[in-house]
Amino acid sequence: MPGRARALGAERLAIGVVLLAVAALVVVPIARLAKASTDASVGRVLRSPGISTAAWHTVLVAVVVTAVAVPLGAAMALLLRRPELPARRTLRVAVVLPLVVPQFVLGYSWTEAYARAGFTDSVLGIHWDGLIGPVGVIVVLAVNAVPVGYLLATAGLVTRAQPELERAARASGATAWTALRTVTLPVLRPALAAAGVLTFVATLESFAVPQVLGTPAGFSTLTTRIYADLSLGSDPASFTDAVTLALGLVLIAALVLVPADVVLAPRLRAERSGQPAGPAQRQRRTWRSYAAAATLGGYVLLVALLPLLALVAASITRAVGLPPTSGNWTLANFRAVLNGTTTGALRHSLELAVAAATLLVVLGALSAVLERRRSGRLLATAATLTFVIPGSTLAVAVLIAYGRWFDGTLTLILVAYLAKLWALAHRPISGALDRFPTAEWQAARASGAAPPTAVRTIWLPALAPALLGAWVLTFVTALHEVTMSSLLYSTRSQTLAVVVLNSQELGDVGPTAALSVLLTALLLAAVLPAWAVAHACNRWRAPRQEVAGAL
Amino acid sequence: MIKALSVATLLLTTVLVGCSSDAGSHSKVLTLYTCANDAVEQAVVKAYEQGHSGSKVDVYRAPTGQLNARVAADVRGGGIRADVIWACDPLTMHGYDAQGLIRAWTPPATPSAAYRTANSVGVDVLYLVAVVHKGVTPPASWADLAQPQYRGGVAVPSPSFAASALGALAYFAAAPGYGMSYYEQLKANGATQVNSPDNVLTGVAQGTYRAGFTLANSAYAAQRKGSPIEVIWPTPGAIAIPAPIGVTAKKHPSPQAADFAAFTASPAGQAAIAHAGAYVPTPGLPGPPLPAGSPIVAPDWTAMFGDSATLLARYAKVFGS
Amino acid sequence: MPSEPALRCRGLRVDYGDVPAVCDLDLDVGPGEIVALLGPSGSGKSTLLHAVAGLVAPSAGEIWLAGRRVAAASASEPPERRDIGTVFQNFALWPHLDVLDTVAYPMRRAGRSRPRARADATAILDLLGLGQLAHRRPAELSGGEQQRVGLARALARNAGLYLLDEPTAHLDAHLRAAFLGEVRARQRDSGAAVLYATHDATEALALADRVALLDGGRLLQVGTPSQVYDEPVSAAAAALTGPVSVLSARVGPAGDALLAVEIGDASDTVAGRASGPPHTRQVLLRPEWTSVGGPFQGRVEAAWFRGSHVDYEVRSPAGRILVRETDAPRRAAGETIPWGIRRIWLLPDEAAEPQPSAAVAPG
Repeated sequence: MPGRARALGAERLAIGVVLLAVAALVVVPIARLAKASTDASVGRVLRSPGISTAAWHTVLVAVVVTAVAVPLGAAMALLLRRPELPARRTLRVAVVLPLVVPQFVLGYSWTEAYARAGFTDSVLGIHWDGLIGPVGVIVVLAVNAVPVGYLLATAGLVTRAQPELERAARASGATAWTALRTVTLPVLRPALAAAGVLTFVATLESFAVPQVLGTPAGFSTLTTRIYADLSLGSDPASFTDAVTLALGLVLIAALVLVPADVVLAPRLRAERSGQPAGPAQRQRRTWRSYAAAATLGGYVLLVALLPLLALVAASITRAVGLPPTSGNWTLANFRAVLNGTTTGALRHSLELAVAAATLLVVLGALSAVLERRRSGRLLATAATLTFVIPGSTLAVAVLIAYGRWFDGTLTLILVAYLAKLWALAHRPISGALDRFPTAEWQAARASGAAPPTAVRTIWLPALAPALLGAWVLTFVTALHEVTMSSLLYSTRSQTLAVVVLNSQELGDVGPTAALSVLLTALLLAAVLPAWAVAHACNRWRAPRQEVAGAL
Repeated sequence: MIKALSVATLLLTTVLVGCSSDAGSHSKVLTLYTCANDAVEQAVVKAYEQGHSGSKVDVYRAPTGQLNARVAADVRGGGIRADVIWACDPLTMHGYDAQGLIRAWTPPATPSAAYRTANSVGVDVLYLVAVVHKGVTPPASWADLAQPQYRGGVAVPSPSFAASALGALAYFAAAPGYGMSYYEQLKANGATQVNSPDNVLTGVAQGTYRAGFTLANSAYAAQRKGSPIEVIWPTPGAIAIPAPIGVTAKKHPSPQAADFAAFTASPAGQAAIAHAGAYVPTPGLPGPPLPAGSPIVAPDWTAMFGDSATLLARYAKVFGS
Repeated sequence: MPSEPALRCRGLRVDYGDVPAVCDLDLDVGPGEIVALLGPSGSGKSTLLHAVAGLVAPSAGEIWLAGRRVAAASASEPPERRDIGTVFQNFALWPHLDVLDTVAYPMRRAGRSRPRARADATAILDLLGLGQLAHRRPAELSGGEQQRVGLARALARNAGLYLLDEPTAHLDAHLRAAFLGEVRARQRDSGAAVLYATHDATEALALADRVALLDGGRLLQVGTPSQVYDEPVSAAAAALTGPVSVLSARVGPAGDALLAVEIGDASDTVAGRASGPPHTRQVLLRPEWTSVGGPFQGRVEAAWFRGSHVDYEVRSPAGRILVRETDAPRRAAGETIPWGIRRIWLLPDEAAEPQPSAAVAPG
């Protein structure tokens, strides 16, 4: 039968594409790094002073950030699905706001807002000395990781924790709190596990925040060590040390990922309930719902709006160190940033981000589907290993592996993005796929749909929020990316990163702030209409409302 | 699924074609790796391209750390791809030379007072100076920054991150009356280590720190815009860090490599650099302020070659890495 | 106070957004009584059960359980403090708990220790013949098993009132019978009251002491199964309980306790009384109140063989009518047959609203 042959062909093609991606994006770069590392450097790294402290700091930060951010994200997801919460739609967008602040100005925007001589200090006389140091690193990283936990927990709530299950608990005599403890949270475990893994590895590889907030307090992590080693890389030994350290990070990540993906994930996937969520019921608004909304609003104000405001203030202030009063206002920073190079670089960055996000959504969907086979269980781990390699090291690996063919082209940067961000597309899509009982698929096939048609008519529309979410997440990350493209660009493939670095190198945060403000405005301009469309579509798809609402 | 895949393939092909179409359209292309700041490096490139019609300089510009990583990756991935390297400090250049990446090339005699080795020449200079927030008593000497009046208010750049800070470390370690104990006194006085001289400048301007070590040209640029800071050239002197240029030992080098390097050191190239706001070793060219009689010192670079790891290890005992 | 009703709703109203899902509802369930809540899907059955269970707060009205007020416009007691066991329509079994822990769950919430709760849960499971499923998870259970586990969990609350929300909706016929038998037996054992929501008229009529007909969030009628079946208050209420034909016919007294029914130019007499002179009225006819053979003639439009009998859809001047034949050979569509009526139900004049589309409910 031609239909069946075509289906088989499509399946083989899918397997081929994913295997090729694993080989090209994961195996080759890591093998190249392993080849660049030497036994001597392993010894040197293990003996170097402070290395155990840095490794301990890295794991400590990752564990604490995960332990703080995931429950916080889950709590927000639980709170924000209550329809009686005042200003719920606005809050749903607001809690994801920290994602739009570019990583490369995150540390700066926080010091500008809360450090000595910062915004709160000049207005209220309050500043936070702990911001510079381990606590500051953890807080800022956690705050930035909360949206990921929130998004995944929300997706999990839609998939699994139907109101029915909680009602059954309440009807069995459980208080609201006990129902949460004994039913909602256990049912959410797969989503929370996914969020935990993603947050853990993302924190392992975070560099900008530990560098800006940790180093001044003498708090070093493996990533700042790697950067320091690369800085001294004209000494070949330092370079191999950096590569060895990066492989150490990959090892730590693998130790967490392999058990989570191979043992835990399939078990969690098996615990499905398979019933769609009903519409949430509106309860009375009490002072508690107002208090909850106010708390959330205050949180967003503190962690996203004030730092963003500090950024805006810096972007329109004539020179660093001047108070942001009207006498010091200027558009010079924006003029400095909006020159010919920037528009070209912005175009390159947009092209790269669109291409990377689109390819990654396809790749992530394919790997998420194939992961469900017994032989595919390690796919999630594979897709995540390169995520944990610090950008600078991964870029070096890509350059060693593919530089001789693609030197100076956007393709080289695209390959690096695909390798780096695969996990960001794979994991959300994989989490959403769990929602699909085979019945929906079988019903489509029984209704005369060949597999491609079934994918198009049944899976894609239903998965649209998750695919859109993965697209937005990878797009934003790619657009904000600085480290890798600043190592891989040439005159022909300048990206925003080049402009950012150049403006930073001129010793002035004004242009960098202006650039961040422009980027954020651009993102909001792109994402808000998408969100509005998703919301409009949702009127007809009540069960999926939560996910798209979260977008 | 097939549809999605073909769309993806199409997209990928488009990107590939789009990238390759604008590659290699110039016959006389040479590749420059540099960490000089954007305005300075662009000024030289523009001047060179104007004087040599049909030439095209493909620039990779990044801070020293990234530059190092890129060079190291090149070496392991088919060989160095730059024709010319314009580094920001002698130590980095020496590191490349020691790996056999720098070709024999006799630099021209100008600039006159330049840093010079057998195959490289300093074409611009960074001066590490002191900076204070407006209203803070300026230090007369570097040693003053370890005095109680600056307790808890001094920021120093990390020599692991910034070559200029490494130069300062090299100078102080050997300078009479300073030595490693100078850093111990700074640390004991509550000094904070940040990453780059720019971080120091930002912090001092914001008022987070009262004083610190930073680079003269950036400090003057910020001051000109209105940042509340003052620039001080303390005794025994601002620490000069020359930025050398050299020609690489690339397998198939551009015939214009040596020509471009020589141009950068020539009066025309030097004028372009000075005009773009950097200090040049060639005297008599307009550049950023260089107060009359300002004392200038420099570490013994040749003595430091191969010694930086030891220095950093000693430094790390004081400030951590 | 055994005389107090197990459940009393007064003026109950529940809103979803701006739409009232339950409106102005008064309902009592006596101690030990089974009341079936019969209505089409979307009629507000689940909403009413959820309000009684405490899962949604009513926007107006009051709910009393065994003489204790648990919900009023001002305050609503949370579900865990109501003496109620609930069986959910979609089973609502927790995917992460096995059967034993699922049934032990309400007992744990009631404060029993884990071993004690598990022992008691085992007893309930054995009682329902589910002992061998104790260590399975919901994903490993069939639909019927899941539903019985849902019932076991509700029974584990040992409550004074049980709410069953379409518990048989996902079960096939023989499981359904077994399940209903179980419900009856448990109810007899415990003496608890049951409010049983269903859209299946046969089930409601067979099981319940009384039936409450719900449509569009309002109660149409409450009464014993024979009351709601034989003496519906409206055509809509009649259609809820089984197939019925509604026709307009001239009806008038025809001697002592007899009525004359005129359809077209023929007429028949049945037992019954009516006041006033003959006039056109809405007449309800259950199929079993008709027979083949009689004064009327009609063309057979369709025939449904139902095992014990055949229902013919017959065209008459008064509309389409379901005529039942219990033993004669089947007639084909297109044939003209004689038919007669043995009994009718007259709708009150003011409730008369012609609903031609509802005239035939071949169900």
